[in-house]
Amino acid sequence: MASKMQGSATKALVVEDIKVDCVILLRMLQKLNCKTTVAHNGKEAVDLFLEGKTFDIVFFDKDMPLMTGPEAVTKIRSMGGTEVKMVGVSADFGGMEAFMHAGADMFVPKPMKLETLDSMLQEVISKKNMSV
Amino acid sequence: MECYNLQRQAACLKRSLFDQGYLDEQFCQIEDLQDEASPNFTEEVVSLFFKDSARLMTNIEQAMEKNPRDFNRWDAHMQQLKGSCYSIGASRMKNECASFRNNCGDENAEGCMRSFQKVKREHGVLRQKLESYFQLLRQAGPAETATRPGCA
Repeated sequence: MASKMQGSATKALVVEDIKVDCVILLRMLQKLNCKTTVAHNGKEAVDLFLEGKTFDIVFFDKDMPLMTGPEAVTKIRSMGGTEVKMVGVSADFGGMEAFMHAGADMFVPKPMKLETLDSMLQEVISKKNMSV
Repeated sequence: MECYNLQRQAACLKRSLFDQGYLDEQFCQIEDLQDEASPNFTEEVVSLFFKDSARLMTNIEQAMEKNPRDFNRWDAHMQQLKGSCYSIGASRMKNECASFRNNCGDENAEGCMRSFQKVKREHGVLRQKLESYFQLLRQAGPAETATRPGCA
């Protein structure tokens, strides 16, 4: 289950306010050799992009204080973040519509399986390797 | 011999947690993330869950007191707790959270209160059982995870 691009690890941003959910997803990403960053709400995520930080993939929880996941997706896409893969994650299946409408690439119900995450990252890696 | 007995006790306790519906497959996923680099990952996650969930339940309780019949607010809080329950495989708690949310949907305040009491009860029972489980594991020592009864 290697997730490694030519020369650099996949850069993943986890946007999640519930600590236990965040820790689990971070652990999965670290097991898959990703370099991880955390934002505790949508606003922090947007701020990271405003600071010029770049990521290969971003995982957004849906309901968070200050700015929700779908709101952050909309904002980041409008700022020009069109290449980064954005994944909405929620235990609420109703979140799918909100995320896809906001411009997310996909929605995954919680809890995410390691295999699901691995195949998502493989896709990101393949796309990135093709563009190098 | 002592270690072996403790390991067996831990394995039996874990099996019973699955058999009685307290935990589901997701708990095994958490255990699969544990390795030599993070040997206590499962216990750390469970500890974090109980910290988070206690806070979320306090938020729900306050919302029910300060915002009577504000079912959308109650539901929003419970949705977060339910999500955490999914994440660690706390199956019975998850079901009671779902029941609460159904009562919110029906605008049934008494039903919500009953469900919430059940959520709190399941939370307490699960915490007690998992504390016992991890205590047994600590006493047994690090060689437990050769087989994982209860995990598919």
